[in-house]
Amino acid sequence: MERASRGLRVAVAAVYAFLLLPLLIVVAAAFNAGNYFTFPPQGFSLKWFANFFQRREFMQALWLSVHLGFWTAVISTVAGTMASLVLVRGRFRGRDLLNAYVTSPLLLPQILTGVALLQYLSLLGLAQSYWALLIGHVVVTTPYVVRTVSAVLYNFDLALEEAAQSLGASPVRAFFEVTLGLIKPGVVAGAVLAFAISFDNFTISLFLTSPRLTPLPIELFAYLKYSFDPTAAAASAVAIGVTLVLMLLIARFMGLEEFTGF
Amino acid sequence: MSDGPRLWVRVALLFPFTATLAVFFTVPLCIMAALSLSRQSFGRFEWGFTFKNYARFLSDAFYWTVLWDTLWLGLVVTAAALLLGYPVAYHLARTRTRWKPLLLVFVLSPLLVGIVIRCYGWMILLADRGLINSTLVERGWLARPLPLMYNKLGVGVALVHVFLPFMILSLTGVIKRIDPALLEAGMTLGASPVRTFWEVTLPLSLPGILAGSLLVFSLAISSFVVPVLLGGFKVYVLPIIVYEQILSVFDWPFGAANALILLLISLAIIAGYVKATERALRGLA
Repeated sequence: MERASRGLRVAVAAVYAFLLLPLLIVVAAAFNAGNYFTFPPQGFSLKWFANFFQRREFMQALWLSVHLGFWTAVISTVAGTMASLVLVRGRFRGRDLLNAYVTSPLLLPQILTGVALLQYLSLLGLAQSYWALLIGHVVVTTPYVVRTVSAVLYNFDLALEEAAQSLGASPVRAFFEVTLGLIKPGVVAGAVLAFAISFDNFTISLFLTSPRLTPLPIELFAYLKYSFDPTAAAASAVAIGVTLVLMLLIARFMGLEEFTGF
Repeated sequence: MSDGPRLWVRVALLFPFTATLAVFFTVPLCIMAALSLSRQSFGRFEWGFTFKNYARFLSDAFYWTVLWDTLWLGLVVTAAALLLGYPVAYHLARTRTRWKPLLLVFVLSPLLVGIVIRCYGWMILLADRGLINSTLVERGWLARPLPLMYNKLGVGVALVHVFLPFMILSLTGVIKRIDPALLEAGMTLGASPVRTFWEVTLPLSLPGILAGSLLVFSLAISSFVVPVLLGGFKVYVLPIIVYEQILSVFDWPFGAANALILLLISLAIIAGYVKATERALRGLA
């Protein structure tokens, strides 16, 4: 038993190393002075960060990603929370079907959603606009919000809301003063997740982007196709930093165990 | 009150997102299907009803090779993710360490870091002048760099890395729900820990294995970024063909047909898997 569990621990540690290695390497390369990352490193430098923050195309891409992520999170959190209230509480025929429909964008490979949206929005004359990106991101992030909020709503005690109503609060007031306060962890975690998914989304953006509207992952991808220099590592390190902060927020509001569903 | 919100409230709450989905998800997919049946000549397409685009795919040996490579890569990646993911999931489900939140961060962080960045990490490691090769060559252990990137090996390694967290999360939930009493029963009856694992834990975690494999396979065969960045257009998979037809060749009907072929394959595999799962579960009961 002892030996088996030690073997398991070594295997597990190796897999964690495999998972984390590329991320650590990117961050290390961003702070490394040389053009190529070698072992041992060639000294500490912030010049790649300076280069990243001085390049207009990267700054525009970063700003677009933040902007897009913010509005995607706002829209998908409101629409997703509204939908989950009905999907968790409603007792009506076709609820399971509706639930499946609302989460169906998660099942479809994103490349298909991207191609279909590009063709459709081009026919409508809307492609290559900010709206196209926003619509695409809302379609793929809202199902995640629905899932996250539903997970919290299932554990919600309806009696509290009913008590508020029997004390004379209108249903709307009962919702905003009681329900929303109690499901807030799920709603906030859903919003943060929506932002994170939008901020990192590549596939949907790839089809809806245009030369003047390139989110950070697309800009990074275009950069990596032609050059290999560590400015891309600095850009990645910034994005990893943003993601870490977002994950701490999710952990703080909802707890990672509940968030991952086990 | 137990019926939930009243009808008009329900409709009003559901409307924003279902309407968005109908207009910007369902309709576009239907139009894509219609496009795949139309034809294109001299850069302009005309609506029609022809299976020419599908016939073109099926009658060209090149596309069959691409299809085969895509599925094979998906299969190998899924198997590797299962082998690497199972021990981690098993440990995560059973451990009582106080470092568990940190372990969850380790599993989730690659998932939340953008896919382009994760590919870039592998490029730094695997390139000809990358960390691994430059270290080995400078020490004089190798005369010339090993071909680690711009081939199927590099694409496969990065794909496993990108989708491994999905496998771990699918498995952990299922393993955690296995009643420890069953394992103790096995042990009390004299079975060794190894035998208990093979005869109790592993069969009971089959739903997680199937769900995780299905998810990883369908994600792997529809991945575009990884084959482009680590394959350097030397490894051709179906999503690259779709991308080229849509955004380089601008043959939208053929591109749409290719995308739908990818979808049909995913759906067929999902259906087959669901059948297999049901049979496997019935076998257990």
